Amino acid sequence: MSAAVTQSGTTAEPATLRRGRRGSELLMLAFAVAVVLLAFAATGYGLNGKLPPVLLTYGLGFAALMFAAHLAVRWLAPWADPLMLPLAALLNGLGIVMIYRLQQSGRAGNPGNVISTMSTSDALLQLVWTAVGIIAFVLVLAFVRQTRVLQRYTYTLGAIGLVLLALPAVIGTTINGAKVWIVVGSFSIQPEEFAKLALAVFFAAYLVAKRDVLALAGRRFLGIDLPRARDLGPVLIAWGASLLILIFETDIGTSALFFGLFVVMLYIATQRTSWLLIGLLLFLGGTYIASTFISHVSERFTIWLHPFAGHNATGAAYQLVQGLEGMGFGGIFGTGLGHGQPYWTPLVQSDFIVTAFGEELGLTGLMALLLIFGLLVQRGLRAALAVRDPFAKLLAGGLAFVLALQVFVIVGGVTGLIPLTGITTPFLSQGGSSLVASWALIALLMRISDMARRPAPQPIQDEGMTQVVRAV
Amino acid sequence: MNRALMRISLACLAMFVLLLINVNYVQAFEAGRLSAQSGNIRTFDQQFQYQRGSIIAAGGGKSVTIAESRLVKGTNDYKRDYPFGAIFAPVTGYDSVYSDTGIEAAEDKNLSGTAPALAVHNLIGVLTGKPKQGATVYLTISAAAQEAAYSALASFGKPAAAVAINPSTGAILAMASYPTFNPNEFTTLNGAKLDQIDNRYLADPSQPLLNRAINATYPPGSTFKIVTSSTALSTGKVASPQTPVPAPASFQLTGSSSVLINNDGEICGDGTPPLIQAFYLSCNTAFAKLGQKVGPADLHKYASAYGMNNPNLTIPLSVSPSNYPLLTDPAQVELSAIGQFNDTVTPLQEAMFAATIANHGTLMKPYLVTEVTAPDLTAIQRTQPSPLSQPVSSPVAAGIGSMMLQVTQNPAGTGYATAGPPAVGSLQIAAKTGTAQNGINNTNLNDAVFTCYAPYSNPQIAVAVIVQGGGYGAAAAAPIAVRIIQAYLGKT
Repeated sequence: MSAAVTQSGTTAEPATLRRGRRGSELLMLAFAVAVVLLAFAATGYGLNGKLPPVLLTYGLGFAALMFAAHLAVRWLAPWADPLMLPLAALLNGLGIVMIYRLQQSGRAGNPGNVISTMSTSDALLQLVWTAVGIIAFVLVLAFVRQTRVLQRYTYTLGAIGLVLLALPAVIGTTINGAKVWIVVGSFSIQPEEFAKLALAVFFAAYLVAKRDVLALAGRRFLGIDLPRARDLGPVLIAWGASLLILIFETDIGTSALFFGLFVVMLYIATQRTSWLLIGLLLFLGGTYIASTFISHVSERFTIWLHPFAGHNATGAAYQLVQGLEGMGFGGIFGTGLGHGQPYWTPLVQSDFIVTAFGEELGLTGLMALLLIFGLLVQRGLRAALAVRDPFAKLLAGGLAFVLALQVFVIVGGVTGLIPLTGITTPFLSQGGSSLVASWALIALLMRISDMARRPAPQPIQDEGMTQVVRAV
Repeated sequence: MNRALMRISLACLAMFVLLLINVNYVQAFEAGRLSAQSGNIRTFDQQFQYQRGSIIAAGGGKSVTIAESRLVKGTNDYKRDYPFGAIFAPVTGYDSVYSDTGIEAAEDKNLSGTAPALAVHNLIGVLTGKPKQGATVYLTISAAAQEAAYSALASFGKPAAAVAINPSTGAILAMASYPTFNPNEFTTLNGAKLDQIDNRYLADPSQPLLNRAINATYPPGSTFKIVTSSTALSTGKVASPQTPVPAPASFQLTGSSSVLINNDGEICGDGTPPLIQAFYLSCNTAFAKLGQKVGPADLHKYASAYGMNNPNLTIPLSVSPSNYPLLTDPAQVELSAIGQFNDTVTPLQEAMFAATIANHGTLMKPYLVTEVTAPDLTAIQRTQPSPLSQPVSSPVAAGIGSMMLQVTQNPAGTGYATAGPPAVGSLQIAAKTGTAQNGINNTNLNDAVFTCYAPYSNPQIAVAVIVQGGGYGAAAAAPIAVRIIQAYLGKT
């Protein structure tokens, strides 16, 4: 009886607001897959003048994975935002296409430079990781039916996050100046990618519980309400942890990401600007101190300010300079996929992948990519604004912000806007950890948007309401 | 919490806006500078991947391709080819994997297709899938005149240069230098081999890489008497070519113990010959005294009007300045008036003297590039002839022209035997010879200088030749100039 009541109550709502829009999602997803397939075909033509031999197998595999993800959303989160999955699919697919393009190196007749850090199975491997990412996506949607499930494991997740963060410092391997990798057999895993998610959940749960206390004003100084000294504790702990990452894993990027995530979530929870200022000052101070005694950090500043000076262009700044020259080479319209020379940039397939896009798709293509990222962030923030549950709101805000910050830090780094720090570009960079974690992040944001857009259960106790329904 | 979330949204927006601004800066505004960055591996690699534009000698009514890029068999790489080897080398320069010279350097943006004017053409090429191609550069050079110049210089065998100009436009018809280099040697794609070739040329004491036509200077000798006469006639210090001027057999330089004599100590006419006779006999004493009479300031002014003392001339290759310093010492002024002391000229400057007289006193800006066309044959750049200056009035130019005519037509004229009727028959060449002493205490062999234009009644070509250590201008340089004129006018 009550089921029938709910149903008739639902149909009474305005249709536009109460539709899941899964059909739109499927249409946009098909469009995203079509763009990826076209890009893949263009790459083959650019490289060898013919379609890539693996176009059909890779293309079908990718399309099937994305369709599976769509079906999972239909089943597990029917009210979720319809844009997020197509946007993520487009980024992921273009990443695979670029990795395929890079593993082939030069064009027919101009072999270019074979990228020693890549093998010809990298695109396939990235596709396999995409499958793992989609599995993670579905699992998160399946197990986190309500975000409050996560709140039960607040401290467990916090501990897991810290362990994952600290793990590389203990048993990690230093690759390219940063000790953020754990090598297991032939795989290397970046635990920090997962730590990011675990800690975001922990921060959100912790801050929701403590936000009233943290919001209490202490003293007013220069027009800013300073928090009470005893409440500074958690901020100092987060700051200390990020400094430790900086020192033991020599990784400014990750440290900036975690500290930024924490401070911004603190700000959203308490609405107190003072936290932002304190956080910013602490970070700048910490980085300055670190740069004075860690050569790796101070060197990053030097090559940022003077990439072309002296021997920098052929020495420490070689990678940055190659990336910039590649982007300059691409110019406004790019060389076209397969026609550029991105293979000169060391590690172009991971940290510097956006410079390869800039070179071959040009300024126009790179701006389109940035706008896709921007749109993804915007959909996340929209979910945060719309959802009622404070924990879900805080978590979505934090996750959307950390996605934006990650794109800013890496794209800003490789384009010379800010000092370069090696972190991955979400969805685009080669590497399984980043891809799987990014899909899990999207699953969380989609779950929260599903909660936000889901029609409220009908208050069946409402006398007036039930009367109206019975009358129908 | 929504208020804070809105602010964070703004912060995210700001981050993306910053990224977008920065990538625009890098890829739209900095792109050119990044491509020009030394050691840019992509720019370096790119040069073999597209067809560089051709260079065509289009002067004299015939088009001859003198530099083009051809696909190397079995590869996608293009290689530069100069079908005529050394003949056009001072004009084209070379295009090697490391550097460019000559027109290859001066017109590199057009030839490589990176010039802003080609951006739209390139974009259409990208959209239609056509491979990038450079623009074609058409030169004013006449292949016939250039070939004659080179073979005449080479057969004489001494370091020398010749320049020919169309006097009414300033179009450079020939620009030859000897000894020179074979630009095909620089087109190798093998860096080590290129270094070897480059070092060999750089170590060669005969300086084959030096473009003597525009980048070497020599004393003008008696050809400078054109400028001295211009100054005297223009300022009214000498009324007309028929005005008698003092020309003693010897003349002690003012305030100096040095005594100046005419060639072989001859007397000049009756001692006070008309200016025209002093000119075609090339009397040193007459012009030294004339220099004293008109004074250093006016000499400097007229020399500058003829194009000397200009460090910024480009054709578009940059031209070394020809110098006539402003002097104060009277003895130096007297020597400078006959093209000695510190006067120096490029062969191009020599040609500009004659071209000015041929063009009624107006000096046209010399230029090499007549047109640049995009791969679809539309012209993206076309040179309009423009005057550089007017050193002398039309009547003065006519007077000096009549004096130059007598150099070859009067049996006593210095150029009669080699550029007059015995040598060229009815073709009238107006000329001035020069035999310039040089070296410390004039110990070096004299440089032979000859500047002229022809035909006298309807000037079509002005030619200057300087042969280093060639001896008498009339004997060494004039026959070379005559061959260039005959080749260009089609009267061989």
